[in-house]
Amino acid sequence: MSTYSFLDDMAGTAEQDFSQPKEFPLMPEGEAVDMGHAADGTPLFDPRILDSPEFFRNPYPYYKILRDHYPVYHDKLHNTYWVTRYDDITECYFDDEGFNTIPKGSSSGVLGNTQLELSGVEHRRRRNLYGQHLVGQSLNHRIPAIEHLAEEMIDHWDTMAAEGSDYVKDEDGKRVVELGMAFANEFPIRVVCEVLGFPKEAQSQFFYWYNSMMTGLGGSDTHKQGVEARQDLEDYVAGIVEERRKEPTYLYDHEGNPISKDVISKLCETRVDGDFLSTEEITSNIALVVGGGGETTRGAILNMWTLLLRHPEQFQAVLDDEENWDKAFHETLRIASPIGGQPRHNTFDVEMHGVKVPAGSLMQMVDFSANHDDRIFKDPETFDIFRDDLYSGKLLRSGFRKEGKCSHMAFGVGPHLCPGAWISHQEAVVGSKILEKRMKNPRIREDMMPKDIDGESPAPMGIVSVRALWLEYDLD
Amino acid sequence: MAAVEKEVAGRNGIVIRRREYDSDTPGYRTYEVYQRERVGESTEKIKPIQLVSDDYRRNPYPLLEILRENYPCYRDWLANSYWITQYNDVTSIFADEANFEARPKTYFYHIEEFGKDLGNELAVLTAEANCIEEHTGAVATNIASELAAKGSGDLATEFAARFAIDLLAKRYGIADEDIAEFGARYWRMQRGTSWEPRLQNDGIMAINELVNYFKPIVEARKSDPGPDMVSAMAELGASAEDVVKTLLEGDHETLHGALANLWYLLLMHPAEFEKAQSERRLMKLAYLETLRHSTPVISADRFARHEVERFGKLVPEGARLICSAAAANRDPRIFNDPDKFIVDRRDMCQREPRGQYRADGLASGITFSLGKPSVHPAVPEDRPMSRYAITRDTAVSASMTLLEHIDNLQIAEGASPHLISLTVGEMHTCWKLPVTFTKK
Repeated sequence: MSTYSFLDDMAGTAEQDFSQPKEFPLMPEGEAVDMGHAADGTPLFDPRILDSPEFFRNPYPYYKILRDHYPVYHDKLHNTYWVTRYDDITECYFDDEGFNTIPKGSSSGVLGNTQLELSGVEHRRRRNLYGQHLVGQSLNHRIPAIEHLAEEMIDHWDTMAAEGSDYVKDEDGKRVVELGMAFANEFPIRVVCEVLGFPKEAQSQFFYWYNSMMTGLGGSDTHKQGVEARQDLEDYVAGIVEERRKEPTYLYDHEGNPISKDVISKLCETRVDGDFLSTEEITSNIALVVGGGGETTRGAILNMWTLLLRHPEQFQAVLDDEENWDKAFHETLRIASPIGGQPRHNTFDVEMHGVKVPAGSLMQMVDFSANHDDRIFKDPETFDIFRDDLYSGKLLRSGFRKEGKCSHMAFGVGPHLCPGAWISHQEAVVGSKILEKRMKNPRIREDMMPKDIDGESPAPMGIVSVRALWLEYDLD
Repeated sequence: MAAVEKEVAGRNGIVIRRREYDSDTPGYRTYEVYQRERVGESTEKIKPIQLVSDDYRRNPYPLLEILRENYPCYRDWLANSYWITQYNDVTSIFADEANFEARPKTYFYHIEEFGKDLGNELAVLTAEANCIEEHTGAVATNIASELAAKGSGDLATEFAARFAIDLLAKRYGIADEDIAEFGARYWRMQRGTSWEPRLQNDGIMAINELVNYFKPIVEARKSDPGPDMVSAMAELGASAEDVVKTLLEGDHETLHGALANLWYLLLMHPAEFEKAQSERRLMKLAYLETLRHSTPVISADRFARHEVERFGKLVPEGARLICSAAAANRDPRIFNDPDKFIVDRRDMCQREPRGQYRADGLASGITFSLGKPSVHPAVPEDRPMSRYAITRDTAVSASMTLLEHIDNLQIAEGASPHLISLTVGEMHTCWKLPVTFTKK
């Protein structure tokens, strides 16, 4: 014992294990680990939780702590300010010059230069270059093509079953399908390829590039693979672009009539500042469309089917009235968005909720948390496609807020609102309507579903979407 | 550029207070500027999570070597930071106040308005230097003789840590019976700048306790000043908050950490110990080599004041740069055999370095928390020595005093002392150094 016992106490803590995941036990869904309390009872928030497996499977109670007690949370471990309330995030998103997206993000190496990382006028003029092809009339023109792709993929299930696929199996007049591998993983990528105007034979290669690029984001260990895949994509696209510059190609409807030029052909004839887009610019935007249009829509489709089938009365409502698919889509994105949020950097010193944030700080806008903000959505953890506080119309409205209804935040809001929001909505709804018609009496094979870490209960959606969805339906 | 404070109540009624500059900059980066950021660097030899792991806490050197030799300006996405690991880069940032700022500890506490740091006022500096000069001998002798009487003990807690606290208490004029409580609060306050919520919470409480503790003392010193720093501050009109702010912003780890690491290294390297105890000058060199080989404060954060192009990268405004002294001090470009502890090294400067950490053309170990070594060719006579020099002489004196009281010093049987940080970001030091010895 030394003279000062607190020194012995401190020295005694030196050998404790401190590494990140070990500290946090897995909790029942919706309950947070006790991270300690201040004298006045305020729960403390340990930033290491954000890297833990517990958080990945069960994020929402932790976001609730942040929303309720630390609306702008300065996380010194990650050198980040987390912004978690719906209103605050909306405010920052709409001010894209005060809270900009300059390229400090980890995506740039993989995706290249995209308008994800531009602000202000530079952002606006580039975003519209291809954004315009994914909305309104030009989107409506493409819906038959999307329907056709979905039918084609479902038709293929018969062949898969006959060939002994692991993901489509027939037994006793029933068919078991893993909806991810058999449909949702690839469907959005195919739609993207089609809309962009890539040859069919390139689509499986695309799927590989897409996967590599996605896993290479975020400065992850697989970043190198992502950068390489991007280079491959760039080499490939460069060739296509050169061809399209000479001879544009068209999209056709199911009767073979040309609808419009495909997006690449359109981009080839686009001018900025009087000059044509460079091949690099076109590739980067394609990388972004490919990247943005895959995982997100896949997650939306799988999450929506999972949630609906686990709430049979709501599934029945959707069966009874097709219009309800839009409601189901929006409520799914609210309660289980595939994208967690967006980084912003404040251009000026700002102060929010009494927290001073020096200029240039990383402020993470947590869309996940905004969507579960009970200041906006009553009973946020309940899945209810008929909730009266969510705007869930046919067309997504950015930042909608009227008569007690707010739009969800899954696509962000403001100038950087996801330009693929509408096409993604159409893919999910159009695809689901066809799926629903082709599957008789579908139900989840809970025994085959991914399990939580305990190995028994079903895996929570957490901050990644459903990893696999095993369905069973009756064959005629 | 005049800064204008503007309060904006947004469309949702969220109040965002902004400081705007009346400059003509657009406020966002243009397309052309960011083009140069195009190529993504692959840094697959290390994972960011390793840099906050227990491995790093125990022995950061192998991981830092990977950074220094492969990614000298490493973009750490997990910690949202740039790691600067080569010697010349680290010193260049440290000397470059035009581009990089240090943030006060109160920033990490979110109490920027709290108190005023008087630590660099001449009167306070002088009081501090005088107190140290007056008390070092007595404090060291007291501790060494108490230890000597026991025949065994722990040099980390009973010598290094205690010496630093006792001397700090003397500087602040703390009554003997209050030292234990003062030391505990002081440590809680310093540790509260951590990212760890329990430490943060505890730290805020400690700050309040210290303010309450100092309130009557500051009042008393105003009418009845003594030689201590609190009296010097009281004379400048300081409040208890100012005293606590000064206490918080001061260096708190170097003397303690360097002493513990010095004795750890000496005991682990008997031949070097042999050299060091032969004369005071060599003990000083051993201390300097300790700061290089096993510096207690292994890194310091600097923030980019504005966008600046350095190290082959465009470093954005507000970016955090983790300047790693531990990596820089083992940079083989600067020091031969950098992993070896060599008391009488010939490639390291033997006096206080000037400017960018060099004297006589030789580099020294980087020590952050004492501030920069003085940039003047000589400190003016009416000013006290630099903190760097004061701390060095104090540590050497304490070590020589210890040697005057004990003999046959060795690590206790069965003990396996090592260096470790209590949490990631805290000092890297020896927390347990059990030894046996005989009384001289």
